[in-house]
Amino acid sequence: MLNMKNVSKIYRTDTVETHALREFSLTVEEGEFVSVTGPSGSGKTTFLNIAGLLEDLSDGTYELDGRDISKLNDKERSRVRNEKIGFIFQSFNLIPELNIFDNVDVPLRYRGFNAAERKRRIEQSIEMVGLGSRMQHLPAQLSGGQQQRVAIARALAGEPRFLLADEPTGNLDSQMADSVLDLLAEINAAGTTIIMVTHELGLADRARRNIFVRDGQVSDNAPELHLASMAAG
Amino acid sequence: MEFGPIWRAMMRNKGGYLLIALQIAVTMAVMVNAFAIMQERSKKMSRPSGIDDANTFSLVSVSFNPELDAKTLVQEDLDLLRGLPGVANAVETNSFPLRQGGWSEGLHREPGVGKSVSSSAIYFVDEHGLDTFALNLVDGQNFAPDQVSWDSDSPDFWPATVIVTQALAEDLFPEHEGSYVGKTFWFNDENPANIVGVVERMQAPWPTWTGIERSMLVPLRRESEFARYVIRTEPGYRDELMVQAEELLSGSNKDRIIRGLGSAEEARKLSYLGDAAMIKILSFIILLLTAITGLGIVGLASFSVARRTRQIGIRRALGATKPAIVRYFMLENFLVSSVGVIAGGVLAVGLNIVMVQAFALTPLAWYVIPVAMIVLWVVGQVAVAGPARRASGISPAIATRSI
Ligand SMILES: Nc1ncnc2c1ncn2[C@@H]1O[C@H](COP(=O)(O)OP(=O)(O)OP(=O)(O)O)[C@@H](O)[C@H]1O
Ligand SMILES: [Mg+2]
Repeated sequence: MLNMKNVSKIYRTDTVETHALREFSLTVEEGEFVSVTGPSGSGKTTFLNIAGLLEDLSDGTYELDGRDISKLNDKERSRVRNEKIGFIFQSFNLIPELNIFDNVDVPLRYRGFNAAERKRRIEQSIEMVGLGSRMQHLPAQLSGGQQQRVAIARALAGEPRFLLADEPTGNLDSQMADSVLDLLAEINAAGTTIIMVTHELGLADRARRNIFVRDGQVSDNAPELHLASMAAG
Repeated sequence: MEFGPIWRAMMRNKGGYLLIALQIAVTMAVMVNAFAIMQERSKKMSRPSGIDDANTFSLVSVSFNPELDAKTLVQEDLDLLRGLPGVANAVETNSFPLRQGGWSEGLHREPGVGKSVSSSAIYFVDEHGLDTFALNLVDGQNFAPDQVSWDSDSPDFWPATVIVTQALAEDLFPEHEGSYVGKTFWFNDENPANIVGVVERMQAPWPTWTGIERSMLVPLRRESEFARYVIRTEPGYRDELMVQAEELLSGSNKDRIIRGLGSAEEARKLSYLGDAAMIKILSFIILLLTAITGLGIVGLASFSVARRTRQIGIRRALGATKPAIVRYFMLENFLVSSVGVIAGGVLAVGLNIVMVQAFALTPLAWYVIPVAMIVLWVVGQVAVAGPARRASGISPAIATRSI
């Protein structure tokens, strides 16, 4: 469903050109759970941003569900993000002045669902992450793990086919991280394609496929991880 | 629409919004009442004087000849003036509407010493007065030439016939119904005057006098070294005839000076100078307040956009289009403005009630409040448009790039 060919991304400032991605090629099939690891600054977030249509690519081609993304205008890109993609961020990114219910509601309003439909989806997804009793709470009144669960509920309420997570457990302790991972595994089992960027090899290992990024390219050279998972499988 | 969450989000961060709403409310209250004052002044300024302002001018002849034969000179002058091509008519008189100087007299309904029941501006004229001032005679008739007398020939000074304005007649005889022609009142508690004609309107010389609509034509000519001439021209000839008339009179008799040349229009402008200035000042205040409020809204919105940079990026990442981001800030501003204009409406009416009582202002016209509301709503939306557009330019990548 995701197909990147020779994608490059160059950040230009007055003095420097940063090649965040170079000739980056990757195919992800429907239903996969892919983890992305790599050193800091290797381009993981850049890849995710491009995959999630948050940023433009400088060169190469990117097809999502067979559509050439570079041909879409801003409105169409917004719509793809809204309907097909769910985002989970390291720092949760809940909107601080909205309560849990309203936070989950945000993408559903942009989707144009009617009030009854939104309410049903919001309640269902908040129940699913186990926070049914907290709907009127503000984000600041929840723990980090709970906030990340709300973020997952928000990402899932629109039933996206594609979930992108950038260090979803980076701000959580290992127990919380595990439970978030359990949730993601459950979601993947239900058919949602997941791409998750992480630093922690232990977590990466729970994905069904691992890719290693170095210097803005997919590297074949991630021996420990691949060997570990191959040995396990 | 998304009013619900926008409102709830605002309620968690009230301070700035309340201040702006308050500013809008105060602006509206001042705006509405300033406008009411402006409206009243401009209504006052547009009252018709009753004469043909546009085509009327006046000048004064001051003779310094000790052997002056005033009767002859005035008659010669009038003949000369009336003979000028383009002059419709001319009269010798003491003043004209809105000149800010003139003669007034207390009037009695019965002879004998007592309180006067009314008062009136007095214009001394001959039988050309009615036509020179272009008054609209609604009842009775003009003076016959033999009803006009010189004060030197008139032992009691006050002549026995007058032409009054409708307003004066009504004030003198409030109970009376039907024609006022033939009714009698008394000057100075002893000289009877019989109404021979009623004109629709002729204002007094004093713009601020409450009795400005009460005046009368008195068929008396006064022998004096001063003679004020009022001249009405055919439309369009006024300016050239002002020059010609001055030259003509200066040339016809060397023993005098001509001064006080001026049009009725100028006199009118002068007499409403204060009102015109007030209107200018109040418009300026309204503009200034509106601009300050607009800038306040720009400031609040810019601050709000800056504070929410990350949230805007998140919204974009979650699928908000650029127009959706613009709409968010427009709606937010609409809510703040609505609170402001509703509070402002209440405040405006309250202030108006106070002003009506304190300064006898006429109460607000019903449409002023809704119009002010719409104006401030529009100002708000225009003011917020810039910051909102900037907000829509925030990249969705903010969501992953900021900590
Ligand atoms: N907006 C930007 N302008 C300029 N350079 C940027 C920008 N965003 C990222 N970069 C650069 O692009 C490169 C890749 O950054 P990216 O955020 O993708 O790395 P990463 O793999 O996610 O790192 P980390 O693991 O630390 O999150 C880095 O060298 C970074 O400095
Ligand atoms: Mg990163």
